[in-house]
Amino acid sequence: MDKVYILGGAQTDYSRNWSKEGKNVLALLRENIFDALDNVGLTRKDIIELNKENKIALFVGNFIAENYINQGHLGALLTEVDPCFFGVPSARFEAACASGSVAIDAACSKIKDKTYDIAIVIGWEIMKSVDSKTGGKFLGKAAYYETEGKNIEFPFPKLFAKLADETIRKYDLSEKRYMDALSKISYINYSNASRNPLAQTRNWYMDELQTRQRGTETNPIIGGKLALTDCSQVTDGAATVILCSEKYKKKNGLTNKPIIKGFGHRVAPMTFNKKIENAKEEKYILPWTRQAILDAYKRANLVVDDIDVFETHDCFTSSEYVAISCFGITEPGKEYKAIEQGIIDFDGKYPINPSGGLIGCGHPVGSSGVRMILDLYKQVTNQAYGYQIKNAKNGLMLNIGGSATTNYCYIVGIE
Amino acid sequence: MNINTITILGANGIMGCNIAGIFASFGKAKVYLICRTLNKSNEAIEKACQSVRSESIKSKMIPMTYNDLKKCISDSDLVFESLSEDINIKINMYQKIIPYLKENTIIATGTSGLSIKDLSNVFKDKKDNFFGIHLFNPPYNLTLCELITHNKQQKEKADELKKYLQKKLNRTVVEIKDSPSFLGNRIGFFFINETMKLAEKHQDQGGIDYIDSIFGGFTGRSMPPLKTADFVGLDVHKAIVDYIYENTQDNYNSSFIVTQYLKKLVEKGFLGRKAGHGLYYKDNNTGLTYVYDIKGENYRVKNDYNFYFANEMIKYIKIGDYKKAFNILLDDECIEARICKELLLKYITYSLKISNEVSSDISSCDDAMATGFSWIPPIALIEVLGGKEKVKEKVKQYLSKDYFDILNNDDIYNNIPKKSKYDYRSFLKGKY
Repeated sequence: MDKVYILGGAQTDYSRNWSKEGKNVLALLRENIFDALDNVGLTRKDIIELNKENKIALFVGNFIAENYINQGHLGALLTEVDPCFFGVPSARFEAACASGSVAIDAACSKIKDKTYDIAIVIGWEIMKSVDSKTGGKFLGKAAYYETEGKNIEFPFPKLFAKLADETIRKYDLSEKRYMDALSKISYINYSNASRNPLAQTRNWYMDELQTRQRGTETNPIIGGKLALTDCSQVTDGAATVILCSEKYKKKNGLTNKPIIKGFGHRVAPMTFNKKIENAKEEKYILPWTRQAILDAYKRANLVVDDIDVFETHDCFTSSEYVAISCFGITEPGKEYKAIEQGIIDFDGKYPINPSGGLIGCGHPVGSSGVRMILDLYKQVTNQAYGYQIKNAKNGLMLNIGGSATTNYCYIVGIE
Repeated sequence: MNINTITILGANGIMGCNIAGIFASFGKAKVYLICRTLNKSNEAIEKACQSVRSESIKSKMIPMTYNDLKKCISDSDLVFESLSEDINIKINMYQKIIPYLKENTIIATGTSGLSIKDLSNVFKDKKDNFFGIHLFNPPYNLTLCELITHNKQQKEKADELKKYLQKKLNRTVVEIKDSPSFLGNRIGFFFINETMKLAEKHQDQGGIDYIDSIFGGFTGRSMPPLKTADFVGLDVHKAIVDYIYENTQDNYNSSFIVTQYLKKLVEKGFLGRKAGHGLYYKDNNTGLTYVYDIKGENYRVKNDYNFYFANEMIKYIKIGDYKKAFNILLDDECIEARICKELLLKYITYSLKISNEVSSDISSCDDAMATGFSWIPPIALIEVLGGKEKVKEKVKQYLSKDYFDILNNDDIYNNIPKKSKYDYRSFLKGKY
């Protein structure tokens, strides 16, 4: 099997509201994809040449554009962006909020089996086209709609509030200690985002007290125990990452390009209740999330101590909390220790989400997986500027879809 | 610079309470909010929390009145004056606080244009502690901060203060010489007043709504310029442009002449959004927007103008093909496209001239317009128009010698950076 190298890529400014700017999806795709091509030094002409030999393809990650902007057939849509994509193989991949990761996975397969030399992976979502309640309904379709989405306002905050309740119950935690840990997770993500020039909340004000004061006018409860500061953002945005084969890398004399060292992909029972039932006898509250991470470590032949930086799926603070033990940073049930001791801080031993994560950087759902791998690329190539983790050699990302149903993990590092 | 305690004078004003919010949140400072009554101070604290969307800062803010000046001022590392724009009111208050100021307390005025030097004199041996810190409304969203000094001895303190404003308060700081209306407002009100004059000149075509349609979102702003004037307040607009007109003597000074219809509206009390009526008003019963018809001297229903060049530009901006959109503008010679490109070119050249005059960095005009007005900044606009060579050629083609002379000045022309710090794309809106 061939290696998969990351050439580079680009992310849009997640603070932008494309509907307010009066722009449609083509503007989002055009800006992002050409920023990415510029970043790796590929031109329109290069794409046309590569396509003559059938050596380039496009992989699109998106959850639910059919609802948000009435647009389907998203692979083909790229031909509307530029004629250089005429004839280029292109398709859309979907797994709710893990759509970006499935697109990456499909691209990797086609590079590994030597079908293509260049794979352009673009993940995107336009979400600010509708109000938050309507958007919440669309996102509810990532759960089992019949029992977990239908006629429920903001179904996902409620599901992840259940995860919070279940975490407290399963590990017999002090509620205050647990909620304070969630607050700190939120605060760390906002603080990290303030260093990231593309983060949605980079200019927002946030302090730890605000994340602890739940149920106030400026921090209302959204579902169960979770308040506004526990939730990720509604975001418009796109991220593109460009992958290449070893052959292409050698032919073009490219050096210092990181590789995807390992991946893990596991799917848990779809409904939240079945997940919990399934995990009753397990040490981990989300055993399939843990398994996806173990699979990635095994494929990369690495352990947690080899990882210098993590990007995780903090769609809610309660999901980042459980990810800490899944990564192997602590034993399950002891995650609060890593949070209290500053281990996951920006300058901690295992920094999580230097980008700001989904809470601070933003969460255009179909884009998040691609944004995470792009951030790992930036970290291990020392290009994360303001939010660079010193001497990062290996990075790990966890991207989940639904209530931790689809679990995707990638490890990126220098060879 | 250690700034732990701050007093805001005039904290009940819109800027006063918003600035209190900025100091208490990003600045993590204890803030005394001084108003005429405790009730007003408490209201200001509520507004300050809302302005930064965080109730957590409430305990950092203390409601006070002018009876507490001694306690507040003697405890403060920085005093921020946010009183009305009247030199006598300000100086009167400065005299009251002088006895209580600590040796190194920074005193700052939020004036949007009065001479900092004139205001500083009252502080005598402490005048080097006096600065202009001009912020834009709302400061939580608009990060521009003009730091104005009045004397060279202030350099060291100004550097420290700049660092504090940048790093701690999260401001985009531009250092400006003491000059009429500083940088952002000088450029912004140049543009807005030019559109007011254009509306007067083209009153036969419809005037106000006609001109606003020519400078809609597709020209790089969230709100058309004359609608912006209504938001600012027509009295405020008039005061600012009158002040600049009276206090500047250059070839561009006539851009600040107030139009007859603006005088009339201000006299009638039709001051814009705050008064319910201004250049526009909205009838809440019918939902219709009315516009002041300059020729008819009355209000009529606003027209929906449609111009071929604008429709084409919007079509391309909508799909992210910005260069094509601006090539359409450059190639179109209809009267509206001419009006549009001529003023955009004036905006670029005038911005460069003023930036060069009042700031040590020519790119300051980009900071000012992007973070103070949310308008496409001038150097970014040069980029989308095809670069400075092309812009120079167009200025020669369309504008008078006065404007071409600006670009003929090597000090200015050679210092124009190839790329702006700001990405022009997000400023261009696919709509009127």
